[in-house]
Amino acid sequence: MMVLPMTGCGMAAGTSPQGATENARDARDALWSGLMAASQDGDRRAYDRLLREILPQIRAVCRARLRQPSDVDDAVQDTLLSLHALRHTYDPTRPFRPWLNAIAERRAIDRLRKHGRTTARESNIEDLPDGAGATQAVGTSRLEAEELRRAVSELPESQRQALLLAKLQERPLREASEISGMSVGALKIATHRAVAALRAKLGGSRR
Amino acid sequence: MNDEELIARLSAQAEPVRRLGPPWQGALLWLGLAATLMAAAVAISGFRHDIAMRLGLMAEQVNLVLALATGILAAFAAFNLARPDGDNRWFYAPLLPALGWVAGMALGCLRDIWLGGFAGLGLGTSFDCARFILGFGIPLTLSMLWMVRHGALVRPVEVSAMAGLAAAAMASVGLTLFHHLDAAAMVLIWHGGSVLLVTWAAKSWGRRALQAMGPKLEELR
Repeated sequence: MMVLPMTGCGMAAGTSPQGATENARDARDALWSGLMAASQDGDRRAYDRLLREILPQIRAVCRARLRQPSDVDDAVQDTLLSLHALRHTYDPTRPFRPWLNAIAERRAIDRLRKHGRTTARESNIEDLPDGAGATQAVGTSRLEAEELRRAVSELPESQRQALLLAKLQERPLREASEISGMSVGALKIATHRAVAALRAKLGGSRR
Repeated sequence: MNDEELIARLSAQAEPVRRLGPPWQGALLWLGLAATLMAAAVAISGFRHDIAMRLGLMAEQVNLVLALATGILAAFAAFNLARPDGDNRWFYAPLLPALGWVAGMALGCLRDIWLGGFAGLGLGTSFDCARFILGFGIPLTLSMLWMVRHGALVRPVEVSAMAGLAAAAMASVGLTLFHHLDAAAMVLIWHGGSVLLVTWAAKSWGRRALQAMGPKLEELR
């Protein structure tokens, strides 16, 4: 592809694609500035038109700062409300978009900070593993407890005692050995057998 | 409420509004108020007896000019930063003279130490200075916050800090004209410390004050 050098009599800056975009932007800014000036004088139709026209611009600024669509929606509405409260601060001799963008940026940052404060106290449920927040029915857990109690009572006395001392009361093996009169080795074997027997009775995967 | 409904509601409420004048107008108005208050304080207390001699000293001239520049630039900064399209760089404008002001006082301390040792610093207490700067600085800060209350929705912390710095610096200039305090260390501690205190208080609580005086989004919803 050949690149033609630009000469003094070549393409004027205003007619290049970039120049055309700039011109369109300037024209839009001038239009919005005029609508805002009319709104400041109490022209409600001009104000209604302005707010509808600038909505995509506000949304674009907020979307650049915020990820959550609900935050973007809230920031857009906060911007509209702020613009309404601050409309007397706009000077029609100055460009409109920097004024608008600054308000939208502020509201998006506020929303970001608010979001930061909330997430510091809360966990996003979507980030947690499935079922993390689920609670079991009380009746189900009671039935399981009864089942476990029955299974334990059916264990031989030595295994039941080993389980109680080593697992439920979490005593050190030496202490459990002194209380039960069993050797440390025998205690270990009895505990292991008790757990294996319970697992067999109540279902392999449960611990 | 969706965007369409909100726009319809806001358009229905669009009463004519009075455009705010340019920031320099507000700043000059507030500086006029501060100057009037300081003039009244000088009129009541009278100039310090050695004012002519003090104003003839180069160090004192530099100190006064830098304090005044800090106050004036901070006032302009506050009024500009309170506008949505105000240039963020205004925040740094008063910091340069403020640093020069502190550096001048610190140099004065070093000179006093050089001439008379640590005893030459003439350390003591001057609660009158703190009382004056706080007594004038806080109401002047509040008066500026009221004038820039629209800044509550723009840059509340920056605007408040600048309002506090402007008010305290102007109070310090006024105080220099009638209160007899020569030792640089005393000026640094009592003037500088009080200015810092007012600025810090404004930065810490100004946002709430602005939000109490300015527009509230919750009420517009």
